[in-house]
Amino acid sequence: MGDREFDPIQQAQNRRRHERMVMLRDLDVMSRREVLRRGGRLAAGVSAASLLLRAGFPIVPTMAQGTPAASEIKLPEYGEIPANLKGSGELRVISWGGALQDAQRKAYFEPFQELTGIKVVESEGPDTSKIKAMVDSGNVEIDVAEVGYDGVLLLLKQGDYWNKLDYSLFDTANIDASRRHEFAVDMLPYGTVIGYRTDVFPEGPTGQKDFWDLTKFPGPRTTESGTGGVLPFLEGALIADGVAKDGLYPLDIDRAFNSLSKIKSDVVKFWDAGAQPAQMLNDKEVVMGHSWSGRVYAIEAAGAPVKTVWNEGMLSTDVWASPKGSNAENANKFMAFTLLPVSQARLCSLIPYGFVNNAAAKLLPAERVAMLPTAPEYKDQMFDTNVQWWADNTPAVTDRWNEWILE
Amino acid sequence: MATAARAEQARRFERLERLTQRRYLLLLAPAVLFLVIFYGYPVAAMLLRSFNDPAWGFGNFKPLTAARTPIEILGVSLPMNAYLRVIGITLQIAVGTTIATLLLGYPVAYALASMPMSRANLLMIFVLVPFWTSILVRTYAWMALLGTDGIVNEVLMGLRLIDQPATLLNTRGAVYVGMVHILLPFMILPLYAVMRGIDRNLMRAAENLGARPWQVFRSVFLPLSLPGVAAGCLLVFILALGFYITPSLLGGQRDIMISMLIQQQVVQLKWGFASALALVLLVISLIIYLVFVRVLGVQRIFGGGRR
Repeated sequence: MGDREFDPIQQAQNRRRHERMVMLRDLDVMSRREVLRRGGRLAAGVSAASLLLRAGFPIVPTMAQGTPAASEIKLPEYGEIPANLKGSGELRVISWGGALQDAQRKAYFEPFQELTGIKVVESEGPDTSKIKAMVDSGNVEIDVAEVGYDGVLLLLKQGDYWNKLDYSLFDTANIDASRRHEFAVDMLPYGTVIGYRTDVFPEGPTGQKDFWDLTKFPGPRTTESGTGGVLPFLEGALIADGVAKDGLYPLDIDRAFNSLSKIKSDVVKFWDAGAQPAQMLNDKEVVMGHSWSGRVYAIEAAGAPVKTVWNEGMLSTDVWASPKGSNAENANKFMAFTLLPVSQARLCSLIPYGFVNNAAAKLLPAERVAMLPTAPEYKDQMFDTNVQWWADNTPAVTDRWNEWILE
Repeated sequence: MATAARAEQARRFERLERLTQRRYLLLLAPAVLFLVIFYGYPVAAMLLRSFNDPAWGFGNFKPLTAARTPIEILGVSLPMNAYLRVIGITLQIAVGTTIATLLLGYPVAYALASMPMSRANLLMIFVLVPFWTSILVRTYAWMALLGTDGIVNEVLMGLRLIDQPATLLNTRGAVYVGMVHILLPFMILPLYAVMRGIDRNLMRAAENLGARPWQVFRSVFLPLSLPGVAAGCLLVFILALGFYITPSLLGGQRDIMISMLIQQQVVQLKWGFASALALVLLVISLIIYLVFVRVLGVQRIFGGGRR
């Protein structure tokens, strides 16, 4: 690298290429999600379009380009795995596609298949409403799904939809009890954080109060919507209004919406797909936005002048869950395998999401740990979402949202 | 004697005719069966859900009738809530889109229909290629065009028409632009089909009889092209009612269409209420369809121009 001359044009071109790459990857992930939401009506059109895109642009849709360092990263290797994880047959897993699933394939799926003898069959676009339909019709096509824990709880309210987990297979020594649930287990912690443009604010915001401060930090913003399968960031609104971050729940819905009203006219877009805030920050449509942490990191890594504020961010986590009527035995083995310290460290090396097995931290370089939402130094700055509260109050918040947004 | 034989013959002929007709009906069977199994049954099951999920009754329709924010129109206070207002916004966007596609599509179809076939076929590619591209990709393209640093703003600023980038994205205007772009072929194609079928000799005859070009168009061509207008408007309007991605990505805070609310309820597993909203959308579509049929007749809408 040292002998290469500094060439600003070359650099600008490289940056553009990266930006386009990230946008297209997000678009790809998003299109798959949207397609599934729309019941496959657009499936034909979208896949044709992605073919066109691939034919028209010299882009190889692998994450080797999306995350530049992926090919050079040295992944921790497995030693001997516990004998009770070995088995036969197949395991059908559904995840979110895109860069995330590429990383999961390398970190979990391939070694699992190799070391346990259980064949992994992948699909994309999990959705609790889809799982409800599968179980209702007795046609369960997946064994393990990556979903939100609120979705698991919501479905539990409607009946017996999930298998109980068998923790005897798990190495639980370094997995906090709060991460192990009866019908699901935490697997992918992520933050809801503030991302901001460093070219607009050299001295950036430090928390939710600054996000709400329209005089000190003027400019268009984006935050989470109440439609499209996501939930409004009421916690952020309450912190900005002066509620302490350890005394948030039960949320004061009225107060939260009153607080949201104060920035409503400066929110150019309430987003409902994870790709949106990143794209808007990248294109400078907004000067700051609430976003999922991995998304801000993706554009930051691609060279956009964007920075993450972890302080007063919310820590949420996706879970693995196994629908009733699926292959519970292989599902448990698979879930236990992905939560091994080595598996966790492998995933964290490939994509900056957090770990749930605390022993994974020892297998990662310190500078990598510092990028993750579960880094010890962020733990005190952030707060945990209360999934149970959301599962109980989502209908009320949604009703309120629908009225509020049209006010 | 002769009359009796005649009557017998006539009866036999009638029976034969009825039999043949029934045989024709048999040809419909595969299509009907397909529609009943793959369309009729799921729709019926979905609609039933609005009355029995989670319990039998009209509970799912209650949120639609609850008046939470009454609005005053001409001094009369009308019961209003978010769901009714979203239905209103949906209708407004669908009507606006239909009018805009008609105004843009009619001249295009007219020009194409007046050209020699070979050239029209060539130019038709420009109508069809976008038609084959995914809605999502085209919507994203509009996001890139209309953004703060987008091409439209750059051109306007380059021409010194504006000094600050205009807010184009995340507005109702952007929703119209995106939806009109996507739905335009659905207007042009039926218009073109009907216009091609219009006998050009009729216009020549009108000219011969001393009509000015505008008169020829107004009293001969326009009335004959109306079935195409009706078919195009019906298609575009009903498709626009169910739009989801385009308004969601291009629209502002208040540009919420009913399909977004349906999706919101499906994700939250309130399928009964989602079905109730879908039922409302279906009823609106049916009413509009019936009005069109009543005013113009199915024959005229789907029967072509030679009438």
